[in-house]
Amino acid sequence: MDFALIHNLSIGFGVALSLQNLMYCFIGVLLGTLIGVLPGIGPVATIAMLLPVTFNLSPISALIMLAGIYYGAQYGGSTTAILVNIPGESSSVITCIDGYQMARQGRAGPALAIAAMGSFFAGCVATVIIALFAPPLAEVALKFGPAEYFSLMVLGLVGATVLAHGSLIKAIAMTILGLLLGVVGTDVNSGIARYSFGLPELSDGINFVVVAMGVFGFAEIINNLEQGEAREVFVNKVTGLMPTWKDLKNSSGAILRGTALGSCLGILPGGGALLSSFAAYTLEKKIGDTSMFGKGEIRGVAAPEAANNAGAQTSFIPLLTLGIPSNPVMALMIGAMMIQGIAPGPQVMTERPELFWGMIASMWIGNLMLVILNLPLIGMWVKLLTVPYRLLYPSILLFCCVGVYSLSNAPFDVMLTALFGLIGYVFVKLECEPAPLILGFILGPLMEENLRRAMLLSRGDPSVFVTKPISGVLLGIAIALLLITLAPSVQKTREEAFVE
Amino acid sequence: MKVTNGKDFWAGLMFCGTGLGFVLASQNYPMGSAVRMGPAYFPTMLGGLLALLGAIIFVRAFFSKIQHPINVFPFRLPVLIASIVIGGATYFGDSWFKNAPMAEFVAIALALGLFIASFGPRAMFVILIAVVIYGYALKPLGLVISTVILIVMSALGGHDFRKKEIVVLTIVMALFSVFVFVKGLGLPFNLWPGE
Repeated sequence: MDFALIHNLSIGFGVALSLQNLMYCFIGVLLGTLIGVLPGIGPVATIAMLLPVTFNLSPISALIMLAGIYYGAQYGGSTTAILVNIPGESSSVITCIDGYQMARQGRAGPALAIAAMGSFFAGCVATVIIALFAPPLAEVALKFGPAEYFSLMVLGLVGATVLAHGSLIKAIAMTILGLLLGVVGTDVNSGIARYSFGLPELSDGINFVVVAMGVFGFAEIINNLEQGEAREVFVNKVTGLMPTWKDLKNSSGAILRGTALGSCLGILPGGGALLSSFAAYTLEKKIGDTSMFGKGEIRGVAAPEAANNAGAQTSFIPLLTLGIPSNPVMALMIGAMMIQGIAPGPQVMTERPELFWGMIASMWIGNLMLVILNLPLIGMWVKLLTVPYRLLYPSILLFCCVGVYSLSNAPFDVMLTALFGLIGYVFVKLECEPAPLILGFILGPLMEENLRRAMLLSRGDPSVFVTKPISGVLLGIAIALLLITLAPSVQKTREEAFVE
Repeated sequence: MKVTNGKDFWAGLMFCGTGLGFVLASQNYPMGSAVRMGPAYFPTMLGGLLALLGAIIFVRAFFSKIQHPINVFPFRLPVLIASIVIGGATYFGDSWFKNAPMAEFVAIALALGLFIASFGPRAMFVILIAVVIYGYALKPLGLVISTVILIVMSALGGHDFRKKEIVVLTIVMALFSVFVFVKGLGLPFNLWPGE
């Protein structure tokens, strides 16, 4: 452990432990748990909704709060999964399987406790991993030129498409559509307002909150309403939170494996909480005694819950070091940084150390708060689940509208969001996953800018992307990823998963 | 030829059309060269690629082993035609609206509303139209009245409308908006019309 790390962490804790930041951290994790518990509203819509509110906050408070929402949602999601057999969050889909079975056997308490402990352990480890690995990575990234950045973004987008659900070609098309939507607005080099249809409101481009809120928030509400309210609230009485020694012994290995896997997968582009939890469950099912899986195996709760929390947190690494988002939530975090006038990238760590380390320290504190918040207050969260959706969605809609309206204090953005809600509904119906679109949307302008610069520097010779070593390797990985995915055997399993 | 995968059929059309749209719209901007890329360069490349992918998806819809009916959405042709007629008339009949900007605005809103209403579930257009009304009513009518409109109208979009519940919800949300958004967070909304 070198001295710099301790010094940095002490700066971080100094920032994160200020009364104001503690409060925003608490608000973040509380809101995160709340929306995690409630099915039908996810962290993407919530963060998008709260972005305008962060205008008035200091940058560090804003980021601490928004980050808290993301990892807080991972905690909350497991509660709903275990007690009601509905994933409160997409990343806890897999927890339903064994968690709900445990609840039916009257062991909801231990399941919840293990989920919380696993998440806490994973959160602590992931915090350390970010602190250890982010600085060297940022140092490498500082040496990146436009060609390297362009290739890195290509890799990021390819990663996001490869890991998206369903058809690969549709995911690629969605990414490109996102890139195209991203270039709407004034071109920085020529000053021409592109694709603005003469509307002055579009000359600054489409605000990404509008896209995210429409495609994720509104489309989700519409889809839920179309399917009708099929949520039966069957809440078991939670008695006795404490797991037995046998539970602890069984799950400790699973928590360790889940944390390790989640930490690695979170860093990957397109990774994050969802992928981590699936991978961890699949891994657990291949190890040791598998007879109890699907019938209330505690390892089936411990591993994915640890993994999704680890993945949620390590997905901050590419954001903080490279300025590149690995999933839609991180794309929104970039937006939050830009609102505050911070250009995301490797320079953040050297120029604004208090921001970077304060956020990391707040993650650890936030995780601690979550354990305290979740276990004793479980009864309150359960009560929340009995609020019917017919009362929830008008309220969610109202928050969305207020959030979007306050972006520019004009009705135009609200109308545009409605339009994206419509488009988002079409995407859902056509099985086109919106996550790659959002990533493309955020990266569009950056990618164009770096492509232009790289080509200018190389005097129009496109071979620079291959001949520069780092850039060449990154592109090579991207192509390899695409080829692997296109391989017949992988294609087949994808198609099968798609049909399911 | 028979479409086996209706979802791919429409998705292919959507991507192909959007891609071509971007390529066509780019014709108005300078292309530049590979060394000095103009504003049209990057979007034209991407638009072409998107159109190509769309075409592949479209063709695939005829051979796909995955079965989906061609009617992916609920669809109302007369409403769509009405929307196009009103929208087109507003676009080409600029001169009619010279002295009545309000009428033009209403016509555009109507066209857009009808377009949204032409396909998709009832819940969708009720909700989206409620949202648009909220956006445009917030300034002239004030926060309280717009909130009431949004909550009541969006609740009407659901399956299960219970009067008493919605009255309570509306009052709670209106109070919440006033105290949290305006008094608490200091958002610059006027509460009542003409303030």
